[in-house]
Amino acid sequence: MGDIVTTVKKTWKIISSMGFAIGLLVILAVSCALGSFLPQGETYAAYAEAYSERTAGWIVALGLDDVYHSPWFLAMAAFLCLNLLACNLVRIPQILRRFRAAGEMPRTAAAAEAAADQLTAACRDSHQAEEWMHSLGFRKIRTGTTEDGRECRYGVRGRAGLWGAWVCHLGVLLLILGFGLGQTMKQEYTVYGLPGDSLQVGDTSYVVTIEDFTVDLREDDTVEQYTADITVRDVSTGESHRDTTSVNSPARMFGLTFYQNSTGWAAGIRVDKNGELLQDENVCAGDYLTVADLPDLVIMLTAFYPDLRMTDQGPVSASSALNNPGYLYMVYYQGQVLGMNVLTEGEQVTIDDYTVTFHDPQNYTLLQIRRDPFTPLALLGGLVTILGLLLAFYFPLTQVWAVEDGSGEELNGWTVRGRCPKGGILFRERFKEVTQGDGN
Amino acid sequence: MAINNLAIENGLFTVTMLLYFAAMILYFIFFAMQRERPASIAAILQTVGFALHTAALIIRGIGAGRLPMTNQYEFATSFAWGLCLVCLIFVHRYQFRVLGTFATPVIFLIIGYAAMQSKDVRELMPALRSGWLGFHVSTAIIAYGAFGVSFAVSMIFLLRERMKDNDFLKKHVPQKEKLDMISYRAVSLGLLFLSFTIVTGAIWAERAWGTYWSWDPKETWSLVTWIIYAVYLHLRLRRGWKDRSAAIFAVIGFICVIFTYIGVNTFLPGVHSYK
Ligand code: HEM
Repeated sequence: MGDIVTTVKKTWKIISSMGFAIGLLVILAVSCALGSFLPQGETYAAYAEAYSERTAGWIVALGLDDVYHSPWFLAMAAFLCLNLLACNLVRIPQILRRFRAAGEMPRTAAAAEAAADQLTAACRDSHQAEEWMHSLGFRKIRTGTTEDGRECRYGVRGRAGLWGAWVCHLGVLLLILGFGLGQTMKQEYTVYGLPGDSLQVGDTSYVVTIEDFTVDLREDDTVEQYTADITVRDVSTGESHRDTTSVNSPARMFGLTFYQNSTGWAAGIRVDKNGELLQDENVCAGDYLTVADLPDLVIMLTAFYPDLRMTDQGPVSASSALNNPGYLYMVYYQGQVLGMNVLTEGEQVTIDDYTVTFHDPQNYTLLQIRRDPFTPLALLGGLVTILGLLLAFYFPLTQVWAVEDGSGEELNGWTVRGRCPKGGILFRERFKEVTQGDGN
Repeated sequence: MAINNLAIENGLFTVTMLLYFAAMILYFIFFAMQRERPASIAAILQTVGFALHTAALIIRGIGAGRLPMTNQYEFATSFAWGLCLVCLIFVHRYQFRVLGTFATPVIFLIIGYAAMQSKDVRELMPALRSGWLGFHVSTAIIAYGAFGVSFAVSMIFLLRERMKDNDFLKKHVPQKEKLDMISYRAVSLGLLFLSFTIVTGAIWAERAWGTYWSWDPKETWSLVTWIIYAVYLHLRLRRGWKDRSAAIFAVIGFICVIFTYIGVNTFLPGVHSYK
């Protein structure tokens, strides 16, 4: 039994130690760097081609093809969380004690010594002591008497700084937790379509209707902004909301975030049979249409050129403005290519009884839809981390204590003591500067 | 951007570079020959250079109608500016001119790198048109500047024990304990700003790309840098200032900064490569 207790104690000690933290952090940094050098998410074959079969075997076996989600990486992150938690728990009583102690004015010489290192200076009187304290940056100075009846002054600042590292550690913990939970719980969907389309969002009860989609171009033909105007309806309740989403300004509705992700061209493909309209459907570039009464016949809109120019290298688009639409199509019959060509507006292609025309090119929008309920937790973690850093670095605990020398008839002057452990030599120099007279 | 704006910016940029170069040489003479005067002139040249550099950036910003921090050239020149700013502040604050000897070569290298980049002003793709971008990049510039200073101070720390003490060194190179404190101050500033950089970058990425963290190489390397400096802090706490390992980590940290900035764009693919 005793052995188990000792082992648990030892393990706890290691887990809450700073040495363990340093080791973990170094390994984490190296792993992150490794993941950035090795292409991630490739297949064994791709690694074997890039390196050698043996190396590829190791890469896949060790999970180096997906470092950031590999079991050992996650285990390290979990250990870091445990480490942070343990370290923060262990340190609460100690920080509280120091925090409280610094709040009280020392009333004995021994207490003052404990609070004020070896930094001491002799001064004339209480007036000069206060002046020095002001010069050292203390605005509020407390007045009191020691247990043996001598007058004293006390200044303290940066007590909150005692919590800096603690708050920073808490922030990192929340950040990792928020990120990790988000990774496991988040949902992602994509939908794409043209104005007027209503699209089901994955297996949810939401339907997105694209009311409008615009691409704003600048004078030099580069894109200024993509904007989709969308309505989202929850079919289970009938509730609906409308909003616009553009790059850098997603729409947030029903706890989902709608991102304007990308765009492309779509056009209508009209098929006539013996002069009679058979079908007319919108198809995105890269997609195809199956002829209604002859499923073996497939018409693919391979590419679309808004401003068609024919060059030696084939068709290109001279600009992204809709000046001279060109449709590159392919016709398949029973899986075999029957023909391909580029048509311009108004031209048609005839295949036996069928005539095909392309018309009304327009931009479709691709929306990405996500839900990550833990993003706010991760953000909170980030902000708490920053707060902790601010406290740790810019609010160092600093104390100055001044006391009347001797008592009764032997009054002859005052002694000032100062302390700022984090300020190190910089604070000591400043203290000397102030107390030796050239500090103002 | 109006042609004459670009020409003025170009002129100012070239003069800035020459001034930084002259400051670097004079600071070197000051340290190598142990003479006081060159340092005084170097400090003036560096300050004037900094003022012209600021003017060049403002003119470019006005011409482009946005913060001049979005392509490789703009970020490089801003990086050099941030390093120069933090360097001037630390030299002044700690009366520490030898810092100039070690920091000006880094400033000059970075502005030299900027000079080799294309200075074209291009319109931004929609994802880059965000208010968060301004916060993201300007905090990065201060962070990188501060890390550059901690690098220079840590190099002095590591070299300090090899230097034979004489009056000049006693006067101009602080003792190791003080060097450690100055480096710590610089790292503190840098880490705080790097944290801002990462958080604002994540907020922006969430809005622009839909995920706040996607292990893109630049993100990953800024995390690596952040971790290295966290290790620096703990090593310092654990071993005390006499130990060299913290100083070594400050040097490694700045190598990571440079890699995050130049290496990632050059060697690794990702959304952050501005090309
Ligand atoms: C990513 C992880 C971590 C970060 C960002 C971090 C950050 C910090 C910071 C900023 C400080 C203040 C340093 C200073 O004031 O100079 C600090 C102090 C400290 N850290 Fe961490 N830390 C991390 C992990 C850990 C872990 C896992 C432990 C576990 C043992 C730990 C133990 C300590 C201790 C004991 C201190 C001294 C506290 C004090 O002076 O009040 N740290 N840490």
